Amino acid sequence: MDKKMFFGEYGGQFVPETLIPALDELEYWYNKLKNDDKFKSELDTLLRSYAGRPTPVYKAENLSKECGCEIYLKREDLMHTGAHKVNNTLGQALVTKYMGKNRVIAETGAGQHGVATATAAALFGMECTVFMGEVDARRQEPNVKRMQLLGAEVVRVQDGQRTLKDATNAALREWVASVENTHYIIGSIVGPYPFPEMVAYFQSVIGIEANTQCKELGFDPDCVVACVGGGSNAIGIFQGFLDNPKVEIFGVEAGGVSDKDGEHARTIGMGKPGILHGAFSYLVQTPQFQVADVHSISAGLDYPGIGPAHSALNDSGRVTYGYVRDDEALNAFRMLTRKEGIIPALESSHALAYVIENKDRFKGRKVLVNLSGRGDKDMAAIMERGLV
Amino acid sequence: MRGFYIVGGYPDREQFKKCLNAVAAEGFEFIEVGIPFSEPVADGPVIASAIHEAVMNGVDIEAIMADVREMKQKYPAIKATVMTYANIIHGYGEKRFSDDFGDILSGVIIPDLPTRMHYWMIEKGLSIPIIPFVTPVSRDEDIEAVKDTKAPFVYYISIMGVTGSDKKGAVNNRSETAKKLTGKPVVTGFGIRTKEDADRAIAATGGFVIGTEVVKRQKDFDSFCKYIAQFR
Repeated sequence: MDKKMFFGEYGGQFVPETLIPALDELEYWYNKLKNDDKFKSELDTLLRSYAGRPTPVYKAENLSKECGCEIYLKREDLMHTGAHKVNNTLGQALVTKYMGKNRVIAETGAGQHGVATATAAALFGMECTVFMGEVDARRQEPNVKRMQLLGAEVVRVQDGQRTLKDATNAALREWVASVENTHYIIGSIVGPYPFPEMVAYFQSVIGIEANTQCKELGFDPDCVVACVGGGSNAIGIFQGFLDNPKVEIFGVEAGGVSDKDGEHARTIGMGKPGILHGAFSYLVQTPQFQVADVHSISAGLDYPGIGPAHSALNDSGRVTYGYVRDDEALNAFRMLTRKEGIIPALESSHALAYVIENKDRFKGRKVLVNLSGRGDKDMAAIMERGLV
Repeated sequence: MRGFYIVGGYPDREQFKKCLNAVAAEGFEFIEVGIPFSEPVADGPVIASAIHEAVMNGVDIEAIMADVREMKQKYPAIKATVMTYANIIHGYGEKRFSDDFGDILSGVIIPDLPTRMHYWMIEKGLSIPIIPFVTPVSRDEDIEAVKDTKAPFVYYISIMGVTGSDKKGAVNNRSETAKKLTGKPVVTGFGIRTKEDADRAIAATGGFVIGTEVVKRQKDFDSFCKYIAQFR
């Protein structure tokens, strides 16, 4: 009926009735502001002078030699707060300001989106509450402290598996109760319409920039690779290249330890379409239609769902979705650190690992990898594994 | 209309059956049976933790519904409804769910399926009436959209929040508007605890449903019976 809410057959608004007026209000403001010159120039100024755009495209020569292909990194790890997340939180915080709301809430897995939301809230003078699963809060303790330092309240969620999915449930509950003065800054291209479209719009700057930068360097990439949890960094860079049929595009899911139940987060690889957090999309579920436990070494990819846009891109065949295991991601993490002097986030390490593990496929080709975040936050996990 | 929500299969099959039949035996007009889903985003801590416990123990949709069928055979007058999240019904199959249970259910209550998304499940074969929600922030056009509902009642969520919230119900005319427009009983839920709350809801719109307070007592059958008896 309402085609605008869907990517192919995926998407929709599967939320409590109480949220419908707020989603309509958000849709109204988003559509108005994305065509508003004043809003666009305000956001553009913030992204440039505050957050560090444009981020460079860097040719990783040493790693390229190692892999037998030309690897280019889109350096979102250089963004303020350490990842691509701030592209979205600045955009949504600005929307919040125009809507006249004075409080924001967010869910976070790795803590990157939480920090980016707390940062935007501090900048705009808004109240901020971030929901984080207890397990994630423990494995990303420095990010908890950063959020608190920035003035945000951090709620440690004790339900379910106590990770990103449960943090999202808690944020949704809080939003239902406070929707009249609060905006929910969703961190990925998940959730009910218009969130998947709006977050993709705010992240499209990655791909638009990267496309121009590659052209300036005199080429179009043969392949574009990004890691996919909810899928915001991936959709961000993909949008610069989806229209060019010569560019092969790859999304990399977290393969965890194995394909056994509860040991991976391969939403597209192992899931089937279902409904979670407001949208119909691929979902890792049990035979009884319960959402299944998932695992990834990376808190940002440890999520049973995926943005509806990716489900549609998978079904249409435009994007190939693969996976790497925890150990392969760690290996890529180590390689980039030692060969290039760049410490990547464990999330982004999955994208790199996919190229390293599939050398033959990428041999001799120009491969653009979205280095979506930096790895400072992952020191605890790295030390646990004895890498230093 | 007086109704109670209980969690299906919780704390175990026997205890659930006893509670289910007790509600029917007391002569209440309807019962809402919850099929547990691992992500109960509309539920507060009491119901959510009961649901999590039920999910950990394994949810058997067929068994829950077999118990509802048995109860309906004994007490045909009571209206039985199922309350569950969209993924459960979609996963089971909208048409299959209707074919298997349409004869014993007066409606389905799906907290993550707002009125504008009803079509999505109806197109896929859900033929059991979907009970629509009205909330304190429903606009006139939202209420207008449910006026042709086939459901036996409209569900009014009286608070901004999740089940069992201790917030005060909103004071506005949304439930009255819903009653006027649909000509159906409007059942008030979320935040009804006492006999006084219930009487007020009956007087205002014609019905109530209590969830959290009964789920709290689902493990203790005597206290469960004692609690519901006061609403006779």
